[in-house]
Amino acid sequence: MAHYTIFGKDPYWMNFWGLMILTAIEVAAVGVELGDTITMSILVGIAIPKFIMIAAIFMHLYGDADSKILTMTALFPAFFIIVMVFFIGLTSPGAATELPAWCRPSYWT
Amino acid sequence: MSGDYGHDDHGHHASPWGPHDWSHGAPHNSFAPLIMSAGFALFLYGFANVFVGGEVADLGALSGVMLGLIIVTIGLLVWWRQDMTFDGVYEPKATGAPFRNIDIRKVSMWIFLMSEMMVFTSLFSTYIRYRLGIPNCNDVFLSGEWIEGTSVVCFEPAAHLIASSWFHLAPGAVNTFALIISSFTVVLALKTAKMSDKKYSDKYEVEMENVQAHRSRKVAVFLGATLFLATLFLTLKMIEWFVGFPTPGPLTNLNHGHSEIASLYTEGYRINADTYQHYAYDTSYHDGKDIPPDSALYSMMQAGTHPGGVMMADIRVGASTFFVTTGTHGVHVLAGMIGLAYMTLKGLRGGWGPSNAVTIEYFGLYWHFVDLVWVLVFPFFYLF
Repeated sequence: MAHYTIFGKDPYWMNFWGLMILTAIEVAAVGVELGDTITMSILVGIAIPKFIMIAAIFMHLYGDADSKILTMTALFPAFFIIVMVFFIGLTSPGAATELPAWCRPSYWT
Repeated sequence: MSGDYGHDDHGHHASPWGPHDWSHGAPHNSFAPLIMSAGFALFLYGFANVFVGGEVADLGALSGVMLGLIIVTIGLLVWWRQDMTFDGVYEPKATGAPFRNIDIRKVSMWIFLMSEMMVFTSLFSTYIRYRLGIPNCNDVFLSGEWIEGTSVVCFEPAAHLIASSWFHLAPGAVNTFALIISSFTVVLALKTAKMSDKKYSDKYEVEMENVQAHRSRKVAVFLGATLFLATLFLTLKMIEWFVGFPTPGPLTNLNHGHSEIASLYTEGYRINADTYQHYAYDTSYHDGKDIPPDSALYSMMQAGTHPGGVMMADIRVGASTFFVTTGTHGVHVLAGMIGLAYMTLKGLRGGWGPSNAVTIEYFGLYWHFVDLVWVLVFPFFYLF
């Protein structure tokens, strides 16, 4: 459990309201037509702090005695994630349409 | 109960099928994970062969699915038999670096979550690859490179349908808030379970002899609330995918004049949709807007080189990535609900207190992870 406060308040309570507010902004940003680039920037800009808030406070990756080693454990797959997303997901231009026959379903032409 | 768990337990296995003698130390070796891995492999191989293009193609593969599930169940029973001694509460510590002296269950849960991260990363990287690698259906439509009656391959993000109106977006948005609230209720359950008798008695003005039952019931209320929110989540997902819902009368205008919010299934957004047609790709309607004058389609129609009409699209890849990713997340919610149901019942029977509250913490790690994944799924599959 957390042994610290955020602005003098219970960290879980503050985290909960922070997540609720960020989500409301997220949904509102899509309702207001701002263009693809701005909308995408807002969504990414909100997803990252939400991700960190849940991991750090709700999942106790901040503030516990074993937080450091468990954070390292949680970040271990980051290397593979980077490889998968950036070196497979964003490169290999032919990956979507030029897969070899053996890894395509039989009905796909 | 409070044995020294720091040394190994060579020679203290009564039988390879268990139970493990925890009082002589931990951890112990087990072949249960190997059995379960083989079962999962068979299950997934069979499952991949049952459906082709959304249709049941090979009923014979169902036997592989069932056999896989049976083997997984056997593995679970072996594991249960080895670890569940029913003679007390043990919380063994890890003995090896770098996790020395951290509860084994906590380390195990984090390693499990690491593998889960890899599962969802595979799904996300697939989505990114296909979304960026296959032309977007709206771009293809506006390019004019299509002929009515002939299907073109393009990527149709579910967000095109879901984020088209507040009503379509409502189930996903409510679900997002539901998961965040459910993460908070799990934390409240943990905080309550960990509260000492004295503190609990002072805070809620309960007689000391009644603290255990009162506190456990309170934990059950928080866990029950989490279970309710998880049920709401899956119910709304089913409504969004298959059922749809009516638009309240006075608000029909906000839904482009339609009296019903159609489900994705009704809209034709399916994993086997190779002839998908939608009013957004109809030159006479086009999402209720005019064709943009700076588009190639507009120029071609003005010049008389494109007759217009309704574009037919093969959206199987886009729909598959959406349903597989959100479906995999949904399965995780369902698995959590099974755990929550058990834990809520245990709370109602007076089973939770400071001595075993860490179990709620470890379940909470899983539940927060499910929330964490949704934090990424919601914006990139539902909103954009």
